[in-house]
Amino acid sequence: MSPTMSSCRAIQPDLVATATGDAVPGAEARVRAHVAACAPCRQELERYRSIDRIVGDIRRAPVGGDHADIVRGDLEWRLAELRRRAVTARVWSSPLGPILIARSEQGVVLVEYLDSARGLEASRALRRAGVEVLEDGNETEAFYQQILEYLAGERTRLAWPLDYRLAASDFHREVLQATATLPYGAVVSYARLAREIGRPTATRAVAQALRHNPLPIVVPCHRVIGGTGALTGYAGDKLALKERLLSLEGVPVVRARRDRRISRDAMYVVADHDREYCVPTCGSLSTLPLWRLTLFATRDRAESAGLAPCTSCRPDLHPLSA
Amino acid sequence: MGREPFEAVMAAHHAEIYRYLRRLTFRSAEAEDLSQETFLRAFRAYRALPPDANVRAWLFAIATNLFRNSLRAAKRRRAAYDGAKGRGREDDGDGPDGVARFNEARVAVEAVIDALPTKQRAAFVMRKVHELPYDEIAKSLHCSVDAARAHVFQAFRKIRHSLEDAQLPAAEGSA
Repeated sequence: MSPTMSSCRAIQPDLVATATGDAVPGAEARVRAHVAACAPCRQELERYRSIDRIVGDIRRAPVGGDHADIVRGDLEWRLAELRRRAVTARVWSSPLGPILIARSEQGVVLVEYLDSARGLEASRALRRAGVEVLEDGNETEAFYQQILEYLAGERTRLAWPLDYRLAASDFHREVLQATATLPYGAVVSYARLAREIGRPTATRAVAQALRHNPLPIVVPCHRVIGGTGALTGYAGDKLALKERLLSLEGVPVVRARRDRRISRDAMYVVADHDREYCVPTCGSLSTLPLWRLTLFATRDRAESAGLAPCTSCRPDLHPLSA
Repeated sequence: MGREPFEAVMAAHHAEIYRYLRRLTFRSAEAEDLSQETFLRAFRAYRALPPDANVRAWLFAIATNLFRNSLRAAKRRRAAYDGAKGRGREDDGDGPDGVARFNEARVAVEAVIDALPTKQRAAFVMRKVHELPYDEIAKSLHCSVDAARAHVFQAFRKIRHSLEDAQLPAAEGSA
């Protein structure tokens, strides 16, 4: 029989596979039966076995010009670079709409309200930031869960590690860090915050810094309001969100003709750095400008912030009616 | 997060992927670039990899894709410059012609492997040098398992036909 005959051609794939250790079930038996009757194919089988042995030698031989160690050293350096720049990000759906959470190795870098759920490419902040964005596994999921709890009123604190690298300047970072300390259920004015960071004339700059807050909710810029008590602005044009977040914390918001403002008369008050909180009618409190005050939605909130009831107006005995 | 850190993946697979690319590319600088790119890409996508994924096969697939893309890019560049001038890649000059004795058969086999079409070469190196299973090779090459087997078969056939019978030592065992 000649190897060009059709049965020899047909057996060839099985023959090669058998000789090189790749036979599928049944192939070896077919090949055995064929070569028993076909001397040329028997020789071919042996030749392919020889080739397989040569290939085995190649497998075991070192590769010429092998710089694996040096290449790996370079790679480790580049990876370390990448890690420093990298953030992982993911878009989650929330009661406030699609919300993007990004984190670096240091902490949460960005919380962004998105107008559509198109995914990471919908993020203007990430595009502008010049960071390397990696696909998120589940690094941001725990934060997302906490936001859900927060929005459901089941959680009052988001004790996250924060990375302020997207703050536009050191001043912005300082404003954000001061804002991060505002307690749940409290509001202050931009002017008050400016004084808190020792820049009493920088009210507008403080408002600008919060307008570009890369970490809304967790850096609660919604607790900062205008000098008249008006909510003023939030995340571009999302004033309704600000109202919603404040209402969640129990802060009374009233709608005036042209704006929304907090209801100062319905909140507990702390003047300057007092350690006591009062009802708004205590002493001369109602005449003080907002930049001297911190307002609290409830007694609980004030006391959670470490404040005691005032000993003259006794908000503990005569609380505001709900 | 229960996944092993990326450093461990590098430690386990970098040398192998580099050597795989080294065998595919002939030029060590190209293997260096492609292996770096393989791991940088892998690092970017690692978090999103399903937990039960075969990391080794996944790395081979990335490396194979990058290699094939680089060939396409090189081909386009060559076509732009000198039309159909033939294969322009670096070679060590050792064609199979002068090889007569079977102790030189290995050099001849390597020369044939080097000259195989891309998919056959990648399939052959993955199977016979790195001993990957066919289903993983198929994934790397975006083809069926049967096609992956056929690539390796064709590679063996070409090696066989490039060698004289005298270069192939007789078997010690029996059929």
